[in-house]
Amino acid sequence: MSQRKKAVSASQNKTQRRSQVSLDEDDEDAHFSQITSSQVQRARENYTSDQIDRKVAEVVQFILIKDQKKIPIRRADIGKHVIKEYKAIYTEIMNRVFRKFDQVFGLKLVEIDSKNHIYILINKLEPIHGEPVNMRPGNPKTGLLFVILSVIFMKGGVVKENTVWNTLKKLRVDPGEKHDEFGDVKKVVTDEFVRQKYLEYVKIPHTDPVECEFRWGLRAEKEVSKLKLLDFVGELFDQDPQSWTQQFRDASAAETSSQRS
Amino acid sequence: MSDSRRKSRGNQEESAGTSNGLGGRNRPERPGDMGDEDDIGAGPSGINEEEDDPTRRREIRSKYRDLINQVQQNREDMLNPANNKLTDVLEEANKLFANVRQAREAALDAQLLVLATDLGKEKASQLHAEGSAFDPSAFAEHLLSFMGLNRLEDESGQDGNLEGYLPQDAWQRLAKRSEYCFKTAPSFHYMLGSFLAEPPPPRQRVERQRKVPSKEAKRMMPTQLKKMEESHQEATEKEVERILGCLQGYFADDSEEPISYYEFVIDPNSFSRTVENIFHTSFLIRDGLVRMYLGTDDLPCVAPVEEGEIEPGGAAVRHQCVISINHESWREIIDAFDIKEALIPSPDVLSQ
Repeated sequence: MSQRKKAVSASQNKTQRRSQVSLDEDDEDAHFSQITSSQVQRARENYTSDQIDRKVAEVVQFILIKDQKKIPIRRADIGKHVIKEYKAIYTEIMNRVFRKFDQVFGLKLVEIDSKNHIYILINKLEPIHGEPVNMRPGNPKTGLLFVILSVIFMKGGVVKENTVWNTLKKLRVDPGEKHDEFGDVKKVVTDEFVRQKYLEYVKIPHTDPVECEFRWGLRAEKEVSKLKLLDFVGELFDQDPQSWTQQFRDASAAETSSQRS
Repeated sequence: MSDSRRKSRGNQEESAGTSNGLGGRNRPERPGDMGDEDDIGAGPSGINEEEDDPTRRREIRSKYRDLINQVQQNREDMLNPANNKLTDVLEEANKLFANVRQAREAALDAQLLVLATDLGKEKASQLHAEGSAFDPSAFAEHLLSFMGLNRLEDESGQDGNLEGYLPQDAWQRLAKRSEYCFKTAPSFHYMLGSFLAEPPPPRQRVERQRKVPSKEAKRMMPTQLKKMEESHQEATEKEVERILGCLQGYFADDSEEPISYYEFVIDPNSFSRTVENIFHTSFLIRDGLVRMYLGTDDLPCVAPVEEGEIEPGGAAVRHQCVISINHESWREIIDAFDIKEALIPSPDVLSQ
C-alpha cells in the first residue's frame, strides 16, 4: 500500500489532503491514527518551518484560551479548529506544543483521558509554602472545592452525596438555598465542578430514590496534591497527618507517581 | 443448622468486609436440592408434595418481601457500624431459604442478597482497619474556626454550630490557603483587553432606528450629530490656541521673567477651570509648543518654544509625567503662591 503511495504525484497528494479535510467531523479524531509515515514525511516537506512554527503558536494560544474556564480540551477540537489541514504532521506539532508549554510557560499539558484524548493544563511549578501562589484574591470556589475533595479523600475516595451536603450545611452552604458567594450551590458542585473534571458525580446502583456518590475527578487526580491536602487537614485538626495512616499511605503513593510522570 | 455454625457465619459477615456475602453462607444440606430450577412438580429430585404447598410458598414469598422492605426502608440504620441488623436480616433469610424449593422464591432470595451485599460493601468501606477516624462534622467545625468564625456566647446550646458571625472574607481566606494544594495553571487573559472598534457601530444603529418614523427625520439626525462632534473638537483646539496666545502675550511683554506653571494654570475662582487649564496646557507641551522646566527654587515654569527651537517630531529629549490635583491641593497652592487672579482669563460662555 505504501509503495503505491510513493509513486503518486504531488497534485494527487493535495486532493488526498483535501478529501481528508472534508471528512465527517466525528471521524476527525479517529483519522489521526490512520496517517502513514510517508504521508507525514511529504506533509513536512510541504510546509515551511515558519508555517509549522505559526501552527504551533496557534495551538498554544487555543489551549490557553480554552483553559480559562478550566474545562478540559478535546484533541478533536484542536484538530478541527486549529490544526485543520496540517493534520498529517499533527504529532510533530503537538510534541512542540508540549515542549513549548513546558519550557516557555512552565505549564504541563496533561492527557487525563487517554481513551477520549482529553487534555488539561496544570502548573509545572509546585507552590511553595510561605510564598503567595498568585497575586489575585482567592476564588471562593477553590475553598468550596477543597472542602469537598478533602471529605472524599479522608473518607477513602468515595462518599455518598449526603455526606457532602451535610458537611456543607454546617459551613452555612445549603444546596437548597441560594448562597451569597456561590449562588446555586448544587449546580456549582454537581455541574460546574463535574464538567471541569474536578469531581465525579455518579448514581449508586439499586437505590430508590436515586442517590449519587462523589469521587475525585480526573483533573483533581492530576492537579491536587493529596499530601498537601492532608497536611492542611492535619493543621486544622492540630493532628499529625501521619496519624491517618491509610490516607497518608495513599497520599504518599500519589505523590511519588505524579513526580515520576 | 447448628447455632455455632450460624454464629460463625455471622462473624464472617462482619470481619471479611471485602468478601462476598454469599461466601459465608452455606446452603442447607438437603438431598436433591441442587439443580431444581423449574416450577413443574416433583421429578427425580424427590420433592415432597407438601413442599409444593402454595400457601406455604406464599408465606415464604411474603416474608422475603418483608425483609427486602426492611432493608430498603432502613438503609441508614443497617449501615450503622454500631449494630448487627444487616447480619440479622441475612440470618433470617438463611432460615427462610431452608424452605425454598422453587425458582420464584429463590428469585426473591437473590434480590434480597443483592441489596444486602450492596449494603455490606458500604458498611465495610466505613471500617478503618487502622489510623484515626475522620469526622466530617469536626472537620466543618475546624474549618469555621479557620475562616474566622466569631462564636457568640449563646444560651441556647441547640443550634450551637449555626450561631456566630462568619466574616465576609471567610471563604476567600480558606481559598487562599487551599490554593497551595492545587497546581492550577494561571488563567490566560490579555493584559490590555482585546481590541474593540467602538465608534462606528453606535452611529449606524442610530441611523437605522430613525429610518422608520420619516425620511425627513432621518436626514436631520446625522447632520445634527456631526455638528456636535466638530464643535467639541473645535472647542478644545480653540481653547488650546487661546492659552498659547495668553502665554505668548505674557512673554512678549517680559521675556526675562519666568512664569510659574502653578501661577499660570491655577484659577483661584474655579477648581474646574483650573483642571481645564492643566488639560489644555498639556496639549501645548505635548505638541512641542510650550516647554516646562525647573526654574529658580526648583519650581516648575512654562515658556513658549521659540520657532525652530524644537522640531515637532524631532529627537528632542521628551519626558512624560502625570499631573493630578485635588481640591485640597488647589487651595494649598493658592495660599502658598498667593494667587489672586487667573493668568488665563476665563473664556466667554460656550455658545451651543
